[in-house]
Amino acid sequence: MTKSMNNNEQPTFVESRRSFLKGTAYSVAGVTLAAGVFKTVADTPATANSKFTPTPKTLSFYPPLEEWDSFTELDGKDWKRGGTGRNGVQSEDNPDGIKATEYMLVPTACSNCEASCGLTAWVDLSTYKAGGQLAVRKYMGNPLHAGSRGRNCAKGYAAQSQMYDPDRIPFPLMRAPGSKRGEGKWVRTTWDEAMAKIGKKMHDTLKKGDEISRKSIMYHVGRPNENGFGHRVPHSLGCDGYDSHTNICSAGARQGTIQWTNDDRNSPDWSNAKLIFLQSSHAADAGHYFQQAAGRIAEARKKGAKLVVMDPRLSNSAGMADLWVPCWPGTETALYLYLANRILNEKDVSGNSLVNHEFVKNWVNWDRLMKDREYLAYLVEKKYIKSVPAGETYEEFITMIAEMYSPYTLDFVAKECRIEKRIVEKLYDMFIDAGARVATYIWRAGPIGHKGGWMIARSAFLPFVLRGAMAGDKGGVGLHHWHVISVNGKGDKATQAGERPPKVDVWNEIAWPPEYPLSSYEMSHIMPHLLLDDEWRKKWNSKGLNVPDKLAVWIPRMYNPVWINPDGFRWIEALKREDKIEMSFNLSPTWSETNWYCDFILPVGLAGERHDQHSEATEPKRWLSFRNPALRVALEKMGWKPKDPTRATLEAHIKAGLGEVWEEVEFWANIMTHYVDPDGSLGVRKYWASKEDPTRAVTIPEWYQAAFDKLPNLKKAAKEAYPDSKYPNYEMMRDRGTWLEEDNIFKPQERPIKKVGDTYISHGHEYHERDIEKDEFGVLLATDHNGKKKAIGVEIDGELMQGFHTLTKKLDFYCEWFKEWKWPEYAIPIYPTTKEDRVKMTHVVSQVHHDFMVNDNDFALNTVFRLPYNIHTRSVNSKHLMEISQNHNPVWIYTDDAKRLGIKRGDAIKVTISDTVSGLESGYFIAMAIPTEGTMPGVLACSHHAGRWKLKNAVEIPGFAHKLGIMGLGAPLYEMTMDGKVGTLKPTEGLNEGMQARRDTWQFKEYNKDLDNIWWDGLSGSWQNAVAASHPDPIAGNHAWHQKVSVELADKGDQIGDIYVNYDNNMKVYQAWRDKLTRPLDSTDTLRRPKHIKRPAVPLSDKAYAVKLT
Amino acid sequence: MEQMKQEIENRIAIYALISRLMLVEVDEAFLSNIEKDETLLSFLPHYRDWDKRKEFSTAELIEQYYNVDFTNLFLMHLVPYESFYTRDDQMIESGGDNPVVELYNSLDFRVELDTARVVSADHIGVELEFMYMLCTALQKALVADDKEGVCELLEVQRAFLKEHLLEWTPLFLINAKKESRTPLYHDGAELTLEFILSDFEYINEKLTEHCIVDEALAQ
Repeated sequence: MTKSMNNNEQPTFVESRRSFLKGTAYSVAGVTLAAGVFKTVADTPATANSKFTPTPKTLSFYPPLEEWDSFTELDGKDWKRGGTGRNGVQSEDNPDGIKATEYMLVPTACSNCEASCGLTAWVDLSTYKAGGQLAVRKYMGNPLHAGSRGRNCAKGYAAQSQMYDPDRIPFPLMRAPGSKRGEGKWVRTTWDEAMAKIGKKMHDTLKKGDEISRKSIMYHVGRPNENGFGHRVPHSLGCDGYDSHTNICSAGARQGTIQWTNDDRNSPDWSNAKLIFLQSSHAADAGHYFQQAAGRIAEARKKGAKLVVMDPRLSNSAGMADLWVPCWPGTETALYLYLANRILNEKDVSGNSLVNHEFVKNWVNWDRLMKDREYLAYLVEKKYIKSVPAGETYEEFITMIAEMYSPYTLDFVAKECRIEKRIVEKLYDMFIDAGARVATYIWRAGPIGHKGGWMIARSAFLPFVLRGAMAGDKGGVGLHHWHVISVNGKGDKATQAGERPPKVDVWNEIAWPPEYPLSSYEMSHIMPHLLLDDEWRKKWNSKGLNVPDKLAVWIPRMYNPVWINPDGFRWIEALKREDKIEMSFNLSPTWSETNWYCDFILPVGLAGERHDQHSEATEPKRWLSFRNPALRVALEKMGWKPKDPTRATLEAHIKAGLGEVWEEVEFWANIMTHYVDPDGSLGVRKYWASKEDPTRAVTIPEWYQAAFDKLPNLKKAAKEAYPDSKYPNYEMMRDRGTWLEEDNIFKPQERPIKKVGDTYISHGHEYHERDIEKDEFGVLLATDHNGKKKAIGVEIDGELMQGFHTLTKKLDFYCEWFKEWKWPEYAIPIYPTTKEDRVKMTHVVSQVHHDFMVNDNDFALNTVFRLPYNIHTRSVNSKHLMEISQNHNPVWIYTDDAKRLGIKRGDAIKVTISDTVSGLESGYFIAMAIPTEGTMPGVLACSHHAGRWKLKNAVEIPGFAHKLGIMGLGAPLYEMTMDGKVGTLKPTEGLNEGMQARRDTWQFKEYNKDLDNIWWDGLSGSWQNAVAASHPDPIAGNHAWHQKVSVELADKGDQIGDIYVNYDNNMKVYQAWRDKLTRPLDSTDTLRRPKHIKRPAVPLSDKAYAVKLT
Repeated sequence: MEQMKQEIENRIAIYALISRLMLVEVDEAFLSNIEKDETLLSFLPHYRDWDKRKEFSTAELIEQYYNVDFTNLFLMHLVPYESFYTRDDQMIESGGDNPVVELYNSLDFRVELDTARVVSADHIGVELEFMYMLCTALQKALVADDKEGVCELLEVQRAFLKEHLLEWTPLFLINAKKESRTPLYHDGAELTLEFILSDFEYINEKLTEHCIVDEALAQ
């Protein structure tokens, strides 16, 4: 109640009790007032004794594993009907009883985001046994899963609505003969026909046997959600032909991590931390590894941990944090170096140093820096330090860097990051209070948003290192490869070859152009630009390279680069060119904008419809998920046998009415064995044909029996659990869906190197004493039979330890190889402190730095945040997820900024993107503005994960009775124009119209009988990705996502969803970033890239690495 | 007994009113019925005198004020279910193990949860409507001069109030009164609390007067 009303209250209810019953009867009869929810019943049916508990005792109830093959559960309507206590269980004698359904629980794993949370698919056996269709009725968690612990987010439970999507692609489709790509004319084909055509093209390409042929097949993988199988596809073909999506995802963060640790990413121990330090809303809101991380973060907070969220946007996480640090996007580096400054230059209350000297002295490569007098002199020349220290001691190192970071003062950081000083100081206090127990996950936001974003990650780790929080200990930060299992591509022993394919001998410039030797991952986001850039190709060919001018086969796999990559019109332009991409097919469970421009769409399985081994470093453990096709497993357990055991998943899906939906493992084994290399002449077949029966492809049980043999604990447990099985590893994983190979992994760098007799043992490998030497920094170097040296461990305080993954076996504060690869000024964590230096050091200064904001309506646009219930392009087919994500992606604009520009809530605004490297304008998108205090002044926020489109509501397939709907649940209809230079898109119809016209869907009718409840028009964002030009970071190679924009109210004719793109300019923007900012390979180089930092997918030979340019 | 015959009408009406108020959102018909009766309206004094009733139409008040308050009080921030208050783990028991459901079942009453739009039959609105049903039954017994039935029904009412409604609703209603943002629900919560306390005293009184005296009743 309001205060004034409280003041007028009666004294107390007891004293003031009124007489309710005396006096005359009320004029209103009770019956006219009562809601009338009671019904009296005379007949109470006999209740049978029941084993059912109407309500489980705990929310985390799951059936015990031994009942998974047959578990009977009461119908969900039980509670409405008063439970079995009233009605009993339905039977012939008791037809009105509560329905009980027999399920088989088949474990699998979610495939929406990367976290791989465990799922159980509840396959309805009752309906099937009564003659109905076999179907999954629901997806729940898998309680055995060490990472997800039976829990899932909305996306996990939505797996069912994705499975029974009314617009599910029911069979393989082929572009209609005679039509052009993008015309939208399709015919039905079969998997065999598609495999024959594709296989022949691949065969003919490889048969040429020349260098170019090995660069002409490209497997382009969206989020893989598996560990290593995809890599093996081009590898076994002898091709350097793998493109990942990583350069639009996380390559910036990975670059910073590689420089410190030569590891792919960090891996925190959230549960035991005292401070959770999040940069961005990732981890706790919507990203890596959201559901699992959020649960662990909540646990830590329950134990008293504090939460800090650094983000220009008040995300869900920031909203519930102890401290929100809104930092101007791209200036985070300055803030991290400020923390380093204070840690180095201040003392604690007892007067002790704040630096964890024991850790830094032992585990940081300061000794190499202090030894490199020439480089120290260079630092003086760059004015990072005043003079070269006299000696080479640790103490002198600390004194030197204390001086080096002293310019990062409170005044500087408040101005540079545009943060209030009190927030900065509070952040510092919280950081210090937590000691070494600070957990973070440096991943998205900053590092992928900006030119030089990688330096944000590089600098972020510095204060963590100084405090000892990077030791991989409890509550701190560890590393990815300690906590992950990758065996999905390691079933080699099950194949005829019985071994891994050899290293590949060629280097594909389309994946790894010579401008980007240090790029963290493949430069996939500029693939179409490279293919269409004749001058670029000519230039490098004239210098002695052999750059392909086209791709023979381009294979996106569950990927939609047309929509999710920047500069979408350039993608469309390239995909339409049959002289540049001769054949293309997408292994895709859903329709997508990319499919529209492919030659084949081959429908593959979702979470419960495929096999994958998948593991992620979500905590200090090594666990794995095993994804199962639920319907296949259920059928096989009930005695069904496929006609062809190498195609069991496809056959099972057809039998169960899901459609001709297959999976990659069986598909690749079959196409390679029977179509790409049917006679084995290319040397490919033997890597996919079965060892047991070389006339056919390897089967799932064979493959996974071999792959899981690589895990000793799993192997042992499987043998014990399934002593009589031929494939115990496979069967155990099929039945459990998850495995914990190792728990409590802390500080593995301190694991001792054993010496047995004259042999050293490190990471499971043996080295003879005579081949080992120790360098002046204590690193143990083993020499192999080719005379190559490899660091296998390091001496710390007289003990031999495994060390980190770097060449120095320590954490590289000083990244020597980076200096040697042409970037000496950035070989240590550094950031310019003056405007003049920001120009000179442009490579580490964001393209949206506030220096570039000159007009009143100029803003930095923050694009890189996920919506918790959407997952890039994968969730468009889920009616449940689409419903809850409608109208959730406006442009956030700070209240005063909006007022200043006359923008009100709900106004359509025109957001024009321009580039600060080339000075060119890209075009605009029209979106809805929401003025809010939830974004910092000068910074707009609009996630790039919404704004799907389609050009037709449905397609007719000749000879097939029904039309196939296209993304009917999530994408409105648009009209597109493009002329080679300018592209536009305009919404013409909301999805409800399209859906209403065919709400009586032919596919999965029963599950989709609620389609007339669709109230949303689907117009939940604009396709801003197409407007954005590619911004390849000159070092990490990633697309720098954030944009400089100007904002104005939309014109009368403009509509939310409209975009206008000058993609001719966008090509020039990409070229400017490439030519103005990179330091390409030149005639002094002999290698394509430092050999110790991995090429992540396909292993390459020395021959491939070698380069000679004129 | 004669007096009880007059009083039972009013008990029925008040239980009907408060159960309806607590169970589902109000509508124009319901509010108009209350407003027709001066006495009933007098139980809701702040509501009766609220300026906004003159300023806005009933439909506007419902949409912009009452439904917002209802959602806050009964769906989002407070938990109007007995098992939440009485179970150690504070879980709502929605299945057949709920003792309130068992009681309804034993008396051959079934709650139409889909009409009530609640997740469990121990919702405050349902329990109050159960009292309304018991009062209606009592009225029939009074009309039939079935003394035994009257006493039995009074005893059931007394037990239901003591063992269920009075066990938990005071805490809920005090909270609801404090959290309410409209005079309707503020007064409604206060009225409900006052009435069930006074009704408990009333029932004990009647049992003492008309039925076998049980020492325990005075407790």
